[in-house]
Amino acid sequence: MTKSIRQSTLQTLGLGSVTDVFRSGRLPVDTGDMVDRVFGGPGNRGSLVISGANGIVGAGKLMQLTSRLEPFGVRSVALSRARTADGIGPQYPGLVEALGKERADRIMANIVRVKYDGANVPEDLNKWQPRFLLEAIPEILEIKKAHYKIFRQAFPEIEIRSVTSGFPSSELGVGVMHPAFPHQTNKVWEIVEEDPSAVTQLLWALGLVPVPVSDDWSFVLDVLFCGVTLAGLRYHRVSNMPFWKIDKYVRKFVGPNPFRAHDVIGAKGANFLTWSCLRHLAEKYGGLFRPTPELDERQESGQNWYPPNHFRPLVNWRMNNEEEDEFLNWIQGALFQMTSLLLHEQRGHLSHINAIGELCAQFRRGILAVIRSLGTDAVIKRVEAYHKLYPEAGGSCWYPAVFEQLDSPEWQQLYVNAEHEGNVGVITISRETYNSDVDAELNRAIDWLKAEGIANVIVTGDFHLSTQMVGADTSEFYPALDDVEEGRRVAETWSVTARRLNDEFKVSVGFVNGKRCLGAFLELLTHCHYLVAVEDAVLGMPEVTLPVVPGMESCHWPFRKTDRTRWAKLIKLLLSGESVKAKDAVDWLIDYSGPMQDSLDTVWSLATNGGATGLPMRSLDEGVLEGIGADAGLEASDNPATEAARKAIMESVRSSCSVPLSEALDIQAKHSAGFTVTSYCREGSIGADRARTMLV
Amino acid sequence: MAMKKNIEMFPRARIPYGTWGSSFFPAWQTSALAEVNIGQFAGEAMNRILGIRKVPKSELEYLIIGSTIPWHWKFWNAPLVASCLGHRISGFHMEQACATGLQAVLLAGAEVQSGSNDVAGVLTFDRTSDSPVGVFPERRAYERTMALSDVWDNFGFDPAAGHAMITTAGNAARKYRLDRKEVEELTFCRYQQYFDTKASGFLDRVLVPLEVLNVQGRFLGIIDDDVGVRKLTLDGLRQMRELDTCVTTGMQTHASDGMATLLVTTAEKAKELSPRPEVVIQFVAKAEVRTHPAMMPESPTLAVQKLLARTGLSMADMAVVKNHNPFAINDAIFAKVMEYDWREVNKTGCSLVWGHPQGPTLTRMLIEGLEEAVDLGGGLVLLFGCAAGDVGIAGLFRVTEGGESK
Repeated sequence: MTKSIRQSTLQTLGLGSVTDVFRSGRLPVDTGDMVDRVFGGPGNRGSLVISGANGIVGAGKLMQLTSRLEPFGVRSVALSRARTADGIGPQYPGLVEALGKERADRIMANIVRVKYDGANVPEDLNKWQPRFLLEAIPEILEIKKAHYKIFRQAFPEIEIRSVTSGFPSSELGVGVMHPAFPHQTNKVWEIVEEDPSAVTQLLWALGLVPVPVSDDWSFVLDVLFCGVTLAGLRYHRVSNMPFWKIDKYVRKFVGPNPFRAHDVIGAKGANFLTWSCLRHLAEKYGGLFRPTPELDERQESGQNWYPPNHFRPLVNWRMNNEEEDEFLNWIQGALFQMTSLLLHEQRGHLSHINAIGELCAQFRRGILAVIRSLGTDAVIKRVEAYHKLYPEAGGSCWYPAVFEQLDSPEWQQLYVNAEHEGNVGVITISRETYNSDVDAELNRAIDWLKAEGIANVIVTGDFHLSTQMVGADTSEFYPALDDVEEGRRVAETWSVTARRLNDEFKVSVGFVNGKRCLGAFLELLTHCHYLVAVEDAVLGMPEVTLPVVPGMESCHWPFRKTDRTRWAKLIKLLLSGESVKAKDAVDWLIDYSGPMQDSLDTVWSLATNGGATGLPMRSLDEGVLEGIGADAGLEASDNPATEAARKAIMESVRSSCSVPLSEALDIQAKHSAGFTVTSYCREGSIGADRARTMLV
Repeated sequence: MAMKKNIEMFPRARIPYGTWGSSFFPAWQTSALAEVNIGQFAGEAMNRILGIRKVPKSELEYLIIGSTIPWHWKFWNAPLVASCLGHRISGFHMEQACATGLQAVLLAGAEVQSGSNDVAGVLTFDRTSDSPVGVFPERRAYERTMALSDVWDNFGFDPAAGHAMITTAGNAARKYRLDRKEVEELTFCRYQQYFDTKASGFLDRVLVPLEVLNVQGRFLGIIDDDVGVRKLTLDGLRQMRELDTCVTTGMQTHASDGMATLLVTTAEKAKELSPRPEVVIQFVAKAEVRTHPAMMPESPTLAVQKLLARTGLSMADMAVVKNHNPFAINDAIFAKVMEYDWREVNKTGCSLVWGHPQGPTLTRMLIEGLEEAVDLGGGLVLLFGCAAGDVGIAGLFRVTEGGESK
């Protein structure tokens, strides 16, 4: 029996708990088995059919799925109407760039292109044994239904899913797999089906991110993304502010550039989809979602939102604090009200609703995380202020009561969950970048496990929403660029959290289960007594390239756990910014690396038996370290910022190693914060990001 | 002739108070405006000004633009500027040299009066900086092909009369036997009027600071001053070399860049859009004359005489008098002929001081005049000026507050 703070998102896919993964020593489903279930066994392998394959969605998903299914011998059939422009050929250069020419050629060769007339299934489709149809044809309900009908008549056993962005499954009569832009690379699919199907579990096994949502008009992503677009449009109508400038303010306060995104996706199609989505939502929910005349016009014209290059904006717009507050009433007020609808209708697991904004709509922080940090009263006040500006929204779908449960575990643990089976706790992190939300939730997860009497813990990704751990969310450092005390506060706070993994458990095991673990996440996990990584993972400390000085103790902590003969490797890791393969990091940075199954076994064994596994726990030298060298064997960089960062990192290493552990945290935080306010950092990657994002 | 009461030129049309605005007019080659497509700038600036004035641009139904110097893609006319403004509406371009800024407003009044549209935007602009050079095949000219620098070559030569602009000033000064000393005092007064007005904050209601971006979207400059306006002294004016009779560099205007905009609407729309719906601004009358060749500075006075004759009004009926004065002698001639104290003219500043971007000059003067009238509690606003070709134009507007005027 596994107990958890809240339901793991893995369970929403019918794949059990994360504890089950470790306890069983294997992933819940095997990719090959799932391919057999969906497409038939090797002797009877059927094909994937994507209709509307020349469209933006169809072509993108054709690449994403074919690249994953081709190794299993699943043929992809690209079905398109005659005289549609080729959307598949243009994908080839991207494939070559991402996967290499040989692999790209294999993928393209696996695609069979078939034309059809829109009314009849092509005769030669039979020979490819269609097993699964992914429909990506235009958003016209009757056409879609007719499409399913002819396929069901021809192939009664076929599984059908629609990529629709708006129609509920109940209207379509098929399940929904709604993908997110950019379709070649975005792994998230919103899934609408009664119970998790083999198709959904296959997506997960292929390394994609299926996210179950409820069967309602438009799904979570479109409510949020179309919603923020609409909020921007409403502000435009009252203020005249150009779309490009609204984008800048929306990016500053929320994250996305909704209007630029429409243009990048392709304004003609994207405008229609947004309009269609909002029109359906308005029909059902009222004025909150009613499209503005600007959107009505552009869904017809397909006109871009940004001016052409030869008319790049000339006259700037700025807002004072009062105007910014009104802007937030228009933008956040609308978004919060729309979120109240999502929650009222229980559109999905709270972590899913929160993550979809971040993973698919460029929200800097998930909408629920923002609401949580503002608090119930402030959120309700914001929506009420919006209603004063736009009374039509006040009369429809506003459910303030949903914000009265912010203290519940579901609200409090949006990114970090914890579960245990009585002896071993598992902390899972579902965000790929570390920020203050993750830090706070991690502390609450640790508190919960300790309150449950758990002494041994595994810290890892969630096997679902996060497929890697890429380090700190650098937007957290923006205030620290000007304020050394803020930089110090962040470094100290996060380091204190990391130390809890060392100090407050009998055994802690960090497990890198995804493609990479970098920066702050690697610093976090090195605080565990053991660190295990799957063999194809890469590990690294890219801070020097930004440049920043690592702040979560990697300038001394790993040195204290490693024999001095390996210190040169740590210095090279810190000063070069280059990653190492997990298998090459054993004995000096991590304790074990192997295939997934072996790694799971090792982690579970370490967590349950501690040192009895044969892997000795590396001790932590709490004293003064002497003999730190400076020669990492690196050539001098021609970038002054890199050289300055290397120097600062080495000073941080020497200073924090030259004192006992009890003093090192403060010293490293001071060095990290001190470098963050230098011109090198302010004019580096983070400074540039801040200028682009916050200084509108 | 008896005064005609309640005369109205366009009974259906109003200028909604407070929905207007102008850029500052920096002297040519002194600001970021020297580096922009002025049509695009004007469109974006009008949108910004309407935003500041809380007028949704979606209210606009029609756009009349006025400019005199060719700008890039001018062929595409008002619809292009409307696109830069962010609102795809129709409209047209007009020009009448320095009369453009008034004539455009009058045309907008006619547009509303005709019932074609209820909300017409007026947007006038020009960039004298880096003005384009046209190359004209002229088969009958001995050069065969002629190149014309649009601003300076036109200032230098009126092809109909064969003289430069400045020559018309000298001619008129001599005709009216103007005294340089008085023109110098008049000029000094004009500068004092401008600087006093600026210090009072009055111009903050008219002029809108505008930040200009470069092609990378970064700060290029801010247009927040009438750059180039110097604090002249009487002594300084006296010491200036006379270029022609009663004309020195201090007693004539300078080229500048800028834009100005206002709306013309129905009475109902004016009430809806104006922050002070009780203020009513009506079109009263217009007159236009063309005087003898090379006598341009007397033409505005003649236009005013014609307007007064047609309306039965006298200068005593006027609350605000604004004269576009590229040469100080324009004001001196007007004062002498009309027996009107030049100190009562152009009390908030004028184009002699803040420059001469041609297209928007009279629009800015009109906005200043209307604001001045509102400060006075209403009254008649007389706006007039000269234009290339020895033309004079005069327009009369009535400002009432709560149904009453001075």
